[in-house]
Amino acid sequence: MTRNSRLKNLFLAPAALWVLAFTVYPLLYSLRLAFYRVNIGQSDVFIGFENFARAFSDGNAINSAVVTLIFVGGGVIIQLSLGILFALLFNRELPFRGLLRTIMTLPLFATPIAVGFLFFTIFYEEGGLINGLLPFKVPWLSDPSWALFSVMLVDIWQWTPFVFLVTLAALQGIPNEYYEAASLETSNAMTQFRFITLPLLQPTIILVLVLRIAEAFKVFDIPFTLTAGGPGASTQVFSMFAYRTSRRFFDFGYGSALAYLLLVAVLIVVLFFFNRIRQTYQ
Amino acid sequence: MQRLRWLVFVAALLFVWATAVAQEGNYLEWNADGSVTLITFEDEERITIPADQIGTMFGPGQQPFAGKRIAITVNNGGPKGGISGPLYRLRPAWEELTGAELDIVEMPLAEQLPATINDLRLGLNQFDGFIEGAWYMGEYVTPGFIIPIDDYMADPGFPQWDPNWLPPSLREIYMWEGKWYATPNDSDGQVLYWRNDILSNPEWQAAYEAEVGEPMPFPVKTWDDVIAIARFFDGKNWDDNDPDPDSGVVMHFRVNEQGMFHYMTMSAPFVVRGGDTVNRCTNNYWFDPATMEPLINSPGHVRALEKLVELSQYGPDAQVGWDLGTTWDWFLRGKSIFVFSWGDVGSLVQDTTRSQIKGKLGASIVPGSNEVYNMCTNAWETLAEPNVVGNTTGGSWQGVVSARSPNPDVVYSLYALMATEPVSLWNVNRGWTGVDPGWSIHFLPPDGTASLEGYLEAGWNESDLKFYLQAYRDNFFADTMLPYLRINGAEEYWRALDQNLSEAMIGRLAPQEALDRTAVAWDEITNRRGRDDQLKQFQESIGYTP
Repeated sequence: MTRNSRLKNLFLAPAALWVLAFTVYPLLYSLRLAFYRVNIGQSDVFIGFENFARAFSDGNAINSAVVTLIFVGGGVIIQLSLGILFALLFNRELPFRGLLRTIMTLPLFATPIAVGFLFFTIFYEEGGLINGLLPFKVPWLSDPSWALFSVMLVDIWQWTPFVFLVTLAALQGIPNEYYEAASLETSNAMTQFRFITLPLLQPTIILVLVLRIAEAFKVFDIPFTLTAGGPGASTQVFSMFAYRTSRRFFDFGYGSALAYLLLVAVLIVVLFFFNRIRQTYQ
Repeated sequence: MQRLRWLVFVAALLFVWATAVAQEGNYLEWNADGSVTLITFEDEERITIPADQIGTMFGPGQQPFAGKRIAITVNNGGPKGGISGPLYRLRPAWEELTGAELDIVEMPLAEQLPATINDLRLGLNQFDGFIEGAWYMGEYVTPGFIIPIDDYMADPGFPQWDPNWLPPSLREIYMWEGKWYATPNDSDGQVLYWRNDILSNPEWQAAYEAEVGEPMPFPVKTWDDVIAIARFFDGKNWDDNDPDPDSGVVMHFRVNEQGMFHYMTMSAPFVVRGGDTVNRCTNNYWFDPATMEPLINSPGHVRALEKLVELSQYGPDAQVGWDLGTTWDWFLRGKSIFVFSWGDVGSLVQDTTRSQIKGKLGASIVPGSNEVYNMCTNAWETLAEPNVVGNTTGGSWQGVVSARSPNPDVVYSLYALMATEPVSLWNVNRGWTGVDPGWSIHFLPPDGTASLEGYLEAGWNESDLKFYLQAYRDNFFADTMLPYLRINGAEEYWRALDQNLSEAMIGRLAPQEALDRTAVAWDEITNRRGRDDQLKQFQESIGYTP
């Protein structure tokens, strides 16, 4: 090894150690835990795939998976639709466009935990900010269906600006010449949108979709603060269930298995969409 | 110019030094008779501890723990919050007394057990002690994470408190297998509070009789009485604080918080039969002590949950998603006839910045049931007098010492100081401290030795106070008590119950189905944690002899 390469390795060592200590080691350690029954004060017992099998027969795990799928499916589709609509709107001349754009992006900078607590007061059903203005009571947090909708609503409120910002940037990157050339053939805006804007936006939309789906699968903070998973288990998302299993009930083995199942699910979705992006570019 | 700068610099240094010196010694005064006066942080209130109670190792010029430093975890409430507040108030005085330093580590209620268990399990040992909830005890004791304190208690060197102040019901939750592990601090139990100005009003009593066709069952004796009264008042604007209709009762059922405590308190008289022995059907509630079979779906429990669901209909619909604080506020705003909750309600009612009902409070031990299910004969028993069961429901937040602490004696000296009669009374008199009454030194004669003046000076309304103290005295000294679940995994058993209760409250599960599911979940928890170990712990925790 030359002196030069030794020096390179020396500089790389802290970063490598950091990744090994705080990424690779916890991953491997939790993978090991997933194959053991772990009880505090007792020796760990190897149980093979039992923890993974348990997840497929555990009503709570199945319910959490269903809640998460509804949350991801409903929330991300609405965020994507609204974000693109707002981006198209802000891509044209508007009075106070700069100010409105700034206001639009504000939710993005709020801490989700704080947002959860904020909406807990906004959704207060006995004369809260919204119900106080309505002639009837909406059971925002006390009805299971409304509670899940409320959690999705807050997530949509916070993350639509992200879709909006990225899509707007992509829209502004489309050269005007394309539209000028197209206008020689047709003046129909919908046709131009369908054959120019949408195809050119596709990679951005897929990228945003991947990022939002991956994040939405891992959602924790908003339901944790807004509903604590209730009423019943109606808003208990998968990551919250895994957290409780490990951290509150100290069932570290099963909790790790749940976390790995979530990781695999997210990986499958992400790989599928990355594949689509690759195909688009090719 | 240069010289002037130097003078200003030196003057500033002198000022900082003088301030520091002046601060030192500001929170402790030794008196001529050997007693010591503790001066609380910020409020500068004075608490005098007699010479024979402060402990022989402390005295003027003696700081036996000088240079040591300890860290104690506590629920997050800040310097003026429940349970954490007294630590902040007395920290400077304790530091002057001992010479040690105290780090107060605040944690959310839901995080304290996981964070401390992780710390202990991984051997990080960041904390020397924990102000724990009573249900943590099994998690801490069984792996050997905390130490017994009997030797310290017997040592005259430490601040002195008397275990005999505590009723047996409370004493049990500080002990494990005959040894003391926790130093008493708070006394938790739920009692029934009501709007005495409304229920004792002859006009409302006449209106009740006119509408219902029979006299108002007040004072209430059974849960059926509570349901009947709550039904009558719910939806009527019986309080003129606002133009909106008010509630009959208010509870909190936000999942993963403290809703299951309501169920435990209410269900006890339907399930727990008193007597001199402990077996499946006597002085028992959670499991069959011979087999660890869950009893949570037995007919007594199911009947109780049916009653709880019925009662909940006479409260605000939103209570399904409410936490404890929201529920208390509803009652304090004068929006509900009944609430059954902890001692904090009594003292919060006295705080007119939050409460509109000071002087209008009534309180008693929670009501009973005229029927109790016998789990040996599998039959209901009808009683001439209601079966009334006291409870220690809640955390009874108490100090325990980590087995990994290098300074266990320092930790105990803090807990012991907090448990001395003058400090404990100071806490209980003020109420905002979150330290609720339960010991003989907190009750008025003839039940105890506290003085009425102490409470009145702290701002209590005399009528409210007398109801309040009588309710707690009756609760903690009741003949029959709800056994406390303190085995390993208590938190997990309760969370399974809590989630299914919430499902029952929103109507997605019938009471029987909710409790059947709970029983299945409990069996699974027991099996996973080791049935034999769990059974042994449960038997020991309730005093059952196989």
